[in-house]
Amino acid sequence: MKIGFIGLGIMGRPMALNLIKGGHAVTVWARRAESMQPLLDAGAKGAASPAEAARGNELVISMVADAPDVAEVMRGVASVGQPGLVAVDMSTIAPAAARKIGEELALAGVDFVDAPVSGGEVGAIAGTLSIMAGGSEAAFAKAKAAFECMGKNIVHVGASGAGQVAKAANQIVTGMGVLAVAEAFAFAAKNGVDRSKVREALLGGFAYSKILENHGQRMLDRNFKPGFKSWMHEKDLNIVMQTAHELGLCLPGSAATAQMFSAMVGSGMGEDDSIAVLKLLERLSGQE
Amino acid sequence: MKVGFIGLGAMGRPMALHLQQAGHELAVWARRPESIGDLPASICATPAELGRCCDVVFTVITSSADVEGVALGKDGLVEGLAPGSVLVDCSTIAPDAARHIAEKLGEKGIHFLDAPVSGGEQGAIDATLAIMAGGDAAVLDRVRPLLDCLGKRIVHVGPNGAGQVAKACNQMIMVAAIQAAAEAMRLAAAAGVDCGKVRQALAGGSAASRVLDVMGERMVRRDFSAGIEARLHHKDFGLVLEAARQSGVAVPLAAVVAQQLNALTAQGWGRDDTSSLLRVLELA
Repeated sequence: MKIGFIGLGIMGRPMALNLIKGGHAVTVWARRAESMQPLLDAGAKGAASPAEAARGNELVISMVADAPDVAEVMRGVASVGQPGLVAVDMSTIAPAAARKIGEELALAGVDFVDAPVSGGEVGAIAGTLSIMAGGSEAAFAKAKAAFECMGKNIVHVGASGAGQVAKAANQIVTGMGVLAVAEAFAFAAKNGVDRSKVREALLGGFAYSKILENHGQRMLDRNFKPGFKSWMHEKDLNIVMQTAHELGLCLPGSAATAQMFSAMVGSGMGEDDSIAVLKLLERLSGQE
Repeated sequence: MKVGFIGLGAMGRPMALHLQQAGHELAVWARRPESIGDLPASICATPAELGRCCDVVFTVITSSADVEGVALGKDGLVEGLAPGSVLVDCSTIAPDAARHIAEKLGEKGIHFLDAPVSGGEQGAIDATLAIMAGGDAAVLDRVRPLLDCLGKRIVHVGPNGAGQVAKACNQMIMVAAIQAAAEAMRLAAAAGVDCGKVRQALAGGSAASRVLDVMGERMVRRDFSAGIEARLHHKDFGLVLEAARQSGVAVPLAAVVAQQLNALTAQGWGRDDTSSLLRVLELA
C-alpha cells in the first residue's frame, strides 16, 4: 500500500520503519528535516509538506504531539481533497477534538480513523503496540494492513472518537496503576520493609499487573529515564479530566492522580518517566 | 458619563441599574433583546455600535468564549470603542483569556480591566460586591467612581489577568468551604444529631464563616433553589484547575471538589444552589 507518514518522533520513527519493513511504499514528512533522514536511509520518500505526504497515497498517518498539531497537519491533508483517501491519527488527543477533525476531513471527502496506541517506545520498535481505533468499518478495514505492521492487539472500538475514549480509559488505569505501585512501595519502605520482597510477593497474587512487574522493577532500580514522560501522562490525564468536566462525570481517583502528575511537572520532573511519582511521594513523606 | 452595559442577567441587571441611578447615561446591547425589559437605557444593535457611543463599557457574561466574542468578534466592541476608552469585564473567565483580550484591545489603544466580582446576586442588588481588578492602576482610578456604585471593596490586585487569578482563588476557597459544610451536615445527620443545632453551635467558634452561615442555613432548611447556580461554580472550577495546571501546582482538594461538582451536574442540579453538594453526599 502507498502510505504517507507524518511525525517522526520517539514513537513515529519506529512505527514508520515497521511499515517499510512490512513492504509498504512510505512517504514521510516531519517538521524537522533531520528527523526524516533515518527514514530516507531506510527507503522512504521525503515530502515537503503534510499535503504532499498525503497526495497520491491510499493512507496517510499522523503521529504528533497534541490536538492543535493534528488539526494543522490534517488541514493540509484535507486540502489535497482526494476522494477515497483514509487519514489515520495515532496521537493521543481529546475524543471531542478527534471527532471534530473527523468531521472536517469528511467535508473534503477524506475518511478518518482515530487510532491512538499504548505500549510506549518499546512496543513501537517491536511492532507490538496496542491499537484502539475509532471510525467507519470501511476506513478501519483499509487501515488494518498498516496497523498489523505496527501493533499486535488491534481493536476497532467504535465510531469516530471511540479510539481516543479507549486511550483515555487506558491512561486512567495506567496513571492510577503507577501511583498505586509507587504508594505501595512508599508504604513498605516507611514501615522498614524491603520493597523488592513486597513486589516479589505481590506478583503471585491478585495485585499482579504489568505495571507492578515492569514499572515496579524500574522503581526499585531508581531508573527514571523515559519510557513515557511525566508531562505526557499529565497531558493525557488532563484530557480525561476535561472530558469528565464536560460530561458531568465524577472521577475522584483520576483527579487525585492528575494532581500528582501536575505537581511532578511543576517541580521539574516532567522529563522523567511517570514512575518518578515515587520521588514525589518520598518527598511528601520525608523519605528522601 | 455615558456607560455601556452588556450582560443583563441576575448579576448584570442590578449593576447596570446602580450605574443609571447614580446619574450615568446607560446604553445596552443584549443577545436576547427581551432581557432588556424596562431598563431605562438606550438600546444598541451590536456591541460595536454600543462601543461607538460609550466611554466605558461593562460586560458581565458567562464564559471566556462569550467575552472574547463580544469584545473581539465580528461587530465586537473592538470595532466601536475609541482609543482611550475602557472595557471593564466583570465576568469570571480564564486569566489567559483576560490577558489575550487586553492585548488585542491594547493594539487599538483601548484599555481593559478584568474586574470579576464576588458577593452573588444579593451583593449586586445591595451594591456591596467585592471587586478584584487587574490592569493599569491609572485606568482603574479613572473608572473607580463607577465601581464605587457597584461595590464596597475594590482592590487593585495587579496587571491584566491578576483580577481573574484572585477570583479563581476566591472560588477555590468558597466552594471547598461549601463542600466542608456539606460534609459536616452529612456527618451530623448520620450521627442522629440536629444539623441546625450543630450549625448554630459552630457559628460562635473557629469554624464560623459566611459560607457556613448562608449555605449551612440552606442545607439545614433543605432549600436548594439558587442562590448561586451550581453550574457557574462548575464552570469556574474548570478555570481553576486549568490555571493550576498551567502553573504546575498541585491543588488536590480543589480537584476532588471539582469531581463532586461533576456529580452534582450529572444529577441535573446545575441550576440549583451549590449547597446541593449535600445532596451529592447523600447519594453514597
